Amino acid sequence: MTEVLFVAAAKPQFGVLADSVRKFNALGARVHLAATFHLESSAEEVATLELAGLHQLPRSVAHRSQALRRKARTSPLGMRVWMQSKPDSWLRDRARRADVIVALDPGAVYTVWRLAQYNRSAAAMFGLAPGLKAVEGLTSQGGSVQRRSVIPPLDAVARDVRRSVDGLPAAVMRTATARPVMRSTVGARLWRTAVTAPGVPTRVRAATSRYVAEGMQWAGRTSGAAIALADAASKIPDLGLKAQLLDEGVMKEITKGLSPRHLDRAVAAQLAFADSEFAAGRIEKAAGALDRALFLDFHRVLHIDQLSSPLAKDAEGFVAPLYRSRAMQALSRPQGRKTPYKKAPTDRPLRLLVTTSANDNFLHHILDHFGDHPGVELRFLDLAASKHLKRIAWAGRRMLEDRLSGGTSDYQEEVERLFRPYLDWADTVFLDWSVGPAGMLTTIDPGDTRIVVRLHSYEAFTRWPHMTDFSRIDDLVFVAPHVKDLAVSLVPQLRGDQAPRFHIVDNAMDLSGFARPKPAEARFNLGLIGISQVAKDPKWAVDVLERVRRHDERYRLILVGGDMDPKTSRATREYRREFEKELAPLEESGAVVRLGPTDDVPSKLQEIGTIISSSVREGCHVGLMEGAASAAVPVARDWPFYAGKPNSARTLYPEGWVVGSPEEAAKRILEATATEDAWRNAGKLAAEHALSVWDWPVVQKHFEKLFLEDR
Amino acid sequence: MSASPGSGLPAEGKRPHVIYLAIGFPPAAKSSAYRMRETANQFINVGWDVTVVNVAQESWERDSGVDLTLLDQVDPRVKIVELPLAREDLETDIRLYDEARALNPNGWVAKLRRRQMKPFPEPNFGEWRTDLEQAVLRIHEEHPADLLLASCVPYVNLAAAWKLWEEKRVPYAVDFRDGWSIDVIEGVEAFGPDSEEGRWERKILDEALSLWVVNDPIADHYRRRYPDFADRVHVVRNGYDADSSPGRAHAPDPESGLVFGYLGTVNFTPQHLETVLNAWKAAREKEPLLANARFEVRGHIGNGAGREANRHTEILKQAEADGVHFGGPAAKAEVASIYAGWDAMVLILIGGRYVTSGKVYEYMATGLPIVSAHVVEHDASNVLSGHPLWTGAVGIDEEGLTESFVRAAHMAVETSDEVHAEAMAHADQFTREALMTVAVKNLVEEFTAKYAAQGARGVDPGGTPAAAPETGDVAPVAEKSIVAGGPTP
Repeated sequence: MTEVLFVAAAKPQFGVLADSVRKFNALGARVHLAATFHLESSAEEVATLELAGLHQLPRSVAHRSQALRRKARTSPLGMRVWMQSKPDSWLRDRARRADVIVALDPGAVYTVWRLAQYNRSAAAMFGLAPGLKAVEGLTSQGGSVQRRSVIPPLDAVARDVRRSVDGLPAAVMRTATARPVMRSTVGARLWRTAVTAPGVPTRVRAATSRYVAEGMQWAGRTSGAAIALADAASKIPDLGLKAQLLDEGVMKEITKGLSPRHLDRAVAAQLAFADSEFAAGRIEKAAGALDRALFLDFHRVLHIDQLSSPLAKDAEGFVAPLYRSRAMQALSRPQGRKTPYKKAPTDRPLRLLVTTSANDNFLHHILDHFGDHPGVELRFLDLAASKHLKRIAWAGRRMLEDRLSGGTSDYQEEVERLFRPYLDWADTVFLDWSVGPAGMLTTIDPGDTRIVVRLHSYEAFTRWPHMTDFSRIDDLVFVAPHVKDLAVSLVPQLRGDQAPRFHIVDNAMDLSGFARPKPAEARFNLGLIGISQVAKDPKWAVDVLERVRRHDERYRLILVGGDMDPKTSRATREYRREFEKELAPLEESGAVVRLGPTDDVPSKLQEIGTIISSSVREGCHVGLMEGAASAAVPVARDWPFYAGKPNSARTLYPEGWVVGSPEEAAKRILEATATEDAWRNAGKLAAEHALSVWDWPVVQKHFEKLFLEDR
Repeated sequence: MSASPGSGLPAEGKRPHVIYLAIGFPPAAKSSAYRMRETANQFINVGWDVTVVNVAQESWERDSGVDLTLLDQVDPRVKIVELPLAREDLETDIRLYDEARALNPNGWVAKLRRRQMKPFPEPNFGEWRTDLEQAVLRIHEEHPADLLLASCVPYVNLAAAWKLWEEKRVPYAVDFRDGWSIDVIEGVEAFGPDSEEGRWERKILDEALSLWVVNDPIADHYRRRYPDFADRVHVVRNGYDADSSPGRAHAPDPESGLVFGYLGTVNFTPQHLETVLNAWKAAREKEPLLANARFEVRGHIGNGAGREANRHTEILKQAEADGVHFGGPAAKAEVASIYAGWDAMVLILIGGRYVTSGKVYEYMATGLPIVSAHVVEHDASNVLSGHPLWTGAVGIDEEGLTESFVRAAHMAVETSDEVHAEAMAHADQFTREALMTVAVKNLVEEFTAKYAAQGARGVDPGGTPAAAPETGDVAPVAEKSIVAGGPTP
């Protein structure tokens, strides 16, 4: 009888596993499975496996010493699985008696490798087919291996001892910075003082500060961890190491969803390091540091996952330090185009290349229209659909290296090779979303092709516009004036001589299908379309609902769209948790109805009498516009991000639609829906406005003008 | 002079000798094995000695697998040298891992690939360079070669071809099959002319006697990229082996259920497979003729630790309820009988206009209806165009494929014997033997025209005969096993 031990760290493909176990059994093997994944949650599938034995290994190191848990946290998966499994006596016993030990997935390989040190007769294989082959090999020898002693070999034991000795300083540090110590104010302060003590060698200071930060984080002092790293960094003369420690500190807070207190210092340190490397001609390192500076400065936790962003207060001031860097200046130096673009041809249709990377949500009408246009030969290119193009379209660091090296990197050559054929074909390229692909596209000279790029809103909160050479873009299309204002205040190139022409063109929407009759009950239904991001701030709408319900309990709030994905970020998770808490009693009482995601917004809008925009910022709020087109009464929050600026929700929408507070919103709703007639009239006016300004037949003319007027 | 002009026959009783770098030669169960086997056999047929260089059988066992029946039709005069080389990334014996690899198997392999790129710019194979170079030099010393033919992949073969040219002036030709500087799947250039790969390709092609590729779009790519070399680029299509053809179409029996089949390596994405199987399911629900139909999938899935234990295998397993059955790899000798039991073929292919694949020819030769599950703009569409029992290319689209399955079911039961015969005749032009006979004959003629007339076995750059190979201690090709052919000289 051949004894086989399977070790699995991840859920296997159960159908395949069941077949394989049958094959092992047919060869006279007895198969035992030890798993660190949760067996109970797959009980049904596991029951179909014809196993001789099954064993749940510890699923975590939760009940082990803190030092071990901290080590586990920084260890690779293979080591973590072994740390969980090592003390398990069932596993060790089975492993000692096994003829063949099989790792079913990469995470289990190290555990099998270690077990094989203790049972040196057994075959140790990775994968089911190799395991089966090993069993086949054994059947010729009677099915089992020649047993050696059951006592573990001396050298394996010696290696284990050596490993624990090697791990000693780390273990000591982890014990000295254990949770109880770090939880106490005295202990934490003591350690923080220690990392800045004079005369400590740089290497030791850096290592110590990392252990201290790790300990602080375990004690729940995330900001303390960041401070310890920043304090140590302040005493370190090496620019690279200093930048790295500050970066680590900032990231500790960011991963917790916090706005880091030392962001400016971390960015400044990365920029200083980038500048010194750039001056020394070490382009790769300079690009790496600049990449980190931009990454930190425009992290989504700061700008996207929260209700505000440092850009709301003073966008120009926020980026000023960035542009003081020499490396950044080199990056943002306009290269311009070698020749002006050629006017659109008059003797043949315009060759229009519409391109994006995966997100074509706002292109459907444009593609339908120009795909069937006698004056246009249309091609559509999804950069994300080709692995080569996708790779270059988002290669931020390589873009930086190219710009800092004066366009001599192999990135430039690759973009030339892969994208030039498209430029050669097209008279005009229309790139939707001014993100990575815009940086990629402007790496090379556009030849005589006209380049048109559209910037929606989201892009302004990312690093990409700072990595795009706008002097190689001829026309930049915005969806609203306030987005243009923000982009211009952020990106110096957009204020320079070589800035592209600006256009404001509304998003392409077919609003005619939204005009459907509403039942009288809809008057009391407030609606919100799209709640999947923190910036939509649905809690504001709940506040409004509660206010109107104080006057009349017939009011309800209907939420349309998918929920926020808590995996996006910790900040999103926390917002969602609070929102759910607020929502639970309201949903139970029927005051809030959640409809979830839908492909059929028009029919959902039939039930909605008042459409709300509760967002803290928007480019143009499509859901609100569609709601208005359906003859719901629009109530738009004066998006705080832009409120009070020359362009804002107030300048985008007709007077009366925009309100400054939940209180004002409630007032407007109560007035507009006071009687059915009043409500229907207000809705009718809103629909008329929406259809006359934003409907596709109107907007389509703007696109025709944009692409075809220039002949 | 070792070859007389035009015939390739030996002068003065000596047979010319070609070293054929054919990693993937039988018994490797790779799709390229058939092309390689026919190429070697055709060289024998025109009077040449052939030494095939392959890697050890054990290496194929953990790669794409082994099919010993493939050796049956290798001409016994073909000498096979197996080098003890293996793909390190596919090692599955954990005892051979160092601690770093055991800790992070995937990360270790990623690092390995970077390291392998140093000697030659090709992941997984770059480190074979020295062994291959030394092997061809040793073989040449033992049995002087007149020509070397390098079949790629792996491209590292080119380094060995170059070495023998550089040191011994043995001319070489290249069979790129799918091409190197073109990514046939995505249809874009795979690397630029100034990259390391680009420099290698240019250097190799500058001196190459001839370049074979499998279809016109790839040939056009090479002619465009190297205009000076354009007249040396030849299309040598893959074709099919006459003995894989069932001979006549199977008589369908809808009562006991029609049988659709796919035979080939499962190299497409899980999504692609899911789309085909969803369409299959929908077609079974929709079309009474398919209600009790089966869909058999045969071939190799995955390699290394993932052999027959990957997502594809699981998807196939889940589809068993819809009459889908995965029957594992098929030995070459079984192929004709497998086809004989099927009523329609499902042609699942990756890539686009640059990809033909060998399968399409074999499928055509069955004379059965063919459901195309590949993009519309695919070279297979060109080959199949005019085939009377082809459902047409509808793209990898669930609804379109559902209709294709329905159409194929009707074709299977409603088509007359004459039409089946007509469908089989459509493939006649593509028997592998016919195609390779011409290809090898042309190559020998090119060789003769350029070198043999100069009386050279080994030609110097100026075209004058080089010195005869050095005599003295000849390193035996001892550590390699000879698995077919006559005794080692």
